[in-house]
Amino acid sequence: MAIAIGIDNVTRTFGTVKALERVGIKIGAGEFFTLLGSSGSGKSTLLKLIGGFDRPTTGRVLFDGQDVTDMPANRRPSNTVFQDLALFPHMTVGENVAYGLKVKGVAASERKKRVDSTLALVDLAGFAERNVNVLSGGQRQRVALARALVMEPGILLLDEPLTGLDERLRQQMRDEFGRLHQRTGSTFVLVTHNQDEALSLSDRMAIMHKGRIEQVGRPADFFANPANDFVARFVGMERVLKPERLERSGGDTVAIIAGERLVLPGARDVGEMGLLAVRPDRISLANGHAAPGSSLRATVAGRQFRGRFFDFYLELGDGQKLDAEIPVEFADAWPEPGNPVRLEFAGGALVPVPASGTAPNRDT
Amino acid sequence: MKSPGLLLALPTALIVLLLGFVPLIVILVWSFWTWDPATYWIRPEFSLAGYAAILEAGRWSVIVGSLGKAFLTAAICVVIGYPAAMAVHFLASRRTALLLMALFTIPFFTSYMIRAFSWRLVLGRNGLINGWLMDLGIVDQPLDWLLFSNFAVNVGLVASYLPFVIFPLILSMQRVEPSLLAASQDLGASFWRTFRSVLLPLTQAGIFAGFLFVFVMAAGSATEVQMLGGAAASMISVMINDVMRVVNFPLAFAISTVVLIILFGLIFIGNRLFKLTRLFEGFTW
Ligand SMILES: Nc1ncnc2c1ncn2[C@@H]1O[C@H](COP(=O)(O)OP(=O)(O)OP(=O)(O)O)[C@@H](O)[C@H]1O
Ligand SMILES: [Mg+2]
Repeated sequence: MAIAIGIDNVTRTFGTVKALERVGIKIGAGEFFTLLGSSGSGKSTLLKLIGGFDRPTTGRVLFDGQDVTDMPANRRPSNTVFQDLALFPHMTVGENVAYGLKVKGVAASERKKRVDSTLALVDLAGFAERNVNVLSGGQRQRVALARALVMEPGILLLDEPLTGLDERLRQQMRDEFGRLHQRTGSTFVLVTHNQDEALSLSDRMAIMHKGRIEQVGRPADFFANPANDFVARFVGMERVLKPERLERSGGDTVAIIAGERLVLPGARDVGEMGLLAVRPDRISLANGHAAPGSSLRATVAGRQFRGRFFDFYLELGDGQKLDAEIPVEFADAWPEPGNPVRLEFAGGALVPVPASGTAPNRDT
Repeated sequence: MKSPGLLLALPTALIVLLLGFVPLIVILVWSFWTWDPATYWIRPEFSLAGYAAILEAGRWSVIVGSLGKAFLTAAICVVIGYPAAMAVHFLASRRTALLLMALFTIPFFTSYMIRAFSWRLVLGRNGLINGWLMDLGIVDQPLDWLLFSNFAVNVGLVASYLPFVIFPLILSMQRVEPSLLAASQDLGASFWRTFRSVLLPLTQAGIFAGFLFVFVMAAGSATEVQMLGGAAASMISVMINDVMRVVNFPLAFAISTVVLIILFGLIFIGNRLFKLTRLFEGFTW
C-alpha cells in the first residue's frame, strides 16, 4: 500500500550548517516525487529524515498523517536504495534480497517464492546463487532495487541510484524505475542532481537550494513558470536576461531591453523588476517579415557545433549575453562571428521570472 | 623475471627468508640430531630422542597447558576487545579515537616485568582487590586464588596483549561501509541482528588476526607465568629455557618444532576459514 509523506516545517542543522531550513512538502500516496538540487542542497539529508536514519532538529515527518518523527528506520514502512547500493558482500544475490524477509521472520518457502518473483521483476531471474561482488554495475543496481522492493514498501527511497553508471545503463535503469513505479504502485522518492532524470520520471518534483525548497510542481511548470532565476537555470535555461523594465499591455508582457521593445504574448506578470529566462531552442534568425516587437538586435560572438545543432553565442546591444540553438540545416544562413544579426523570439522564448536576488547573466 | 614488482620485492623476500625461514630449517633439522654427552653438543646422526623426551617429565602437559592458556587469553581478549574496538570506531570522534588508542598503547611503555609485578600489588593477599572485598564485607578471609594461580596468569596475559586484538579489529571495522549497517537497519534489523548478520561476518578476518596475534604472543610468554603463576606453573618458553640450560638441544628444538607446527596449522586453518589475507587487501570477496 502506497503511503503519503508529509514534511512539516522541518529544519535540520549540523552545528552552524543549516542542511534543511523550514522545509514543508506533501507527497501524495503513489506519487513519483523527485528531489532535484545541486550538491550540498540538503537532498540526502531530507531523504534520511524520511527513511528514519536521522532526526529533524525541529519539525515533523508524517506518514499517512501519522507522526513518525521518533520511529527508528528499522520500523518504518519505507525502504531505501542507497547511493553506493550497500549490497552485503558476504551474501549471494538471493541472500541479499531475502535478508529483510528473513529478519521479518517470513518462512523459508514463502521467502524463496517472493525472492524469485522479485528477482524476475527486475530481470534477474535465475541469479539467486550468484556472487554479488562480480555482477556488472547495472545488475548490482537491480539487486539493490530487488532487495528493497521485495519488502513491498509503502515508500521507496532512491538516493542518486544512477550516479556512476554509463549513459546507456542510466537510460535503461531510468526506464526500469518508471516501469517498477507503475507495477508496484508505491510512493517513490528519488534524489538526483540530473534534471533529465527528474523531468522524465517525476509526477512532481522539488528543486532544492541551500536547504530550502525553491519550487514544487509538475515538471512542465518549471519551464512555463519558474519560481525564480535559480530554478530557471536549474532546469536548463542557463541564460537569464535583465530587462530595463517589464510592462503590462493587455494580457501580454512587454519587455524593454537593450533599448528595444519586445512583446511576450500571454506571458505572466512578474512585476516591473522581473527577469527573463532564455529558451535557446526558440530563437531564430529574423527574416524580412517578422512581426513588430518580436525581434532584437544582437551581435554574433561565436558558434560551436553540437551534433544536431549549433550553439550561437550572442550579445545584445547592452552587452548581455545569450545563446541560441540553431538546427544544422539553418546555421549556414547565419552571419559569421563579429557581425550583427536580428533575432526573432518565438512564443515562450523568453520566460518572465521573479528576481530572486542572484545576479543575473553570470558567465557560467 | 618480467614483472618489476617481483623484482622490487626480491630483496625484501630474501631478507625475510634469511631471517625467518633459515632459523626454522635449522631448528627442524637439529631437532633430529643426536645429543652427545661427551662434547655437550650435537652430532649429525638421526635420532628421535628429542621427540621421545617431550613425552617425559610432564613436558607434554606444559605444552598443552601453555596452548590452553594462550587460547583462553586470546578468546577473552577478542570478547573484551570487540566492544572496545566498536567504541573507538563507531562512537568516538576522531580526536577521542586517537586518545583512546594512545591509552591502549601507553602500558607498553613500561616493561613486561613491571606490569606483571604491578598485578601482584592488585591481586595479592594484601592487594587492592582483597582489600576492597574485605572492606565491603563480601569475604572475611583474603582470597588466595587471586594470585599465584592460573587466574592471575590469565589476568596478566589479557592485560598485556589486549591492544594486539584491538588494532586489527579497528582495521577490519574501518573496512565495513557504514551504509551496509544502515541498509541492514533499513531492512528491519535491530542493532543485535545487524551486529550478528552484518558486522560480525564482515570483521571475521580482524577477529582471527587479533586472536592469532594474542595467541602466538601468549603461547610464547614467560614473564606472566613466572611472576603471577603458582609454584608448579610453567610455560613452553620457560621449559625450553630450562632444557637449554642443561644443553639438551635436540629436545629444545623438538619442542620448538612441535609448537611451530601447531601454530602454522592454526594459521593455515584460520586462513582457510576466515580469509585472513582479506584484511590486508582491497575489500572484495
Ligand atoms: N552528518 C553531517 N554532519 C555535518 N554536516 C552534514 C552532515 N550531513 C550533511 N551535512 C551538511 O548538510 C548539507 C547538505 O548535505 P546533503 O548531504 O543533504 O546534500 P545533498 O543535497 O545530498 O548533496 P549531494 O548532491 O552532494 O549528495 C551540506 O552542507 C553538508 O555538508
Ligand atoms: Mg546526497
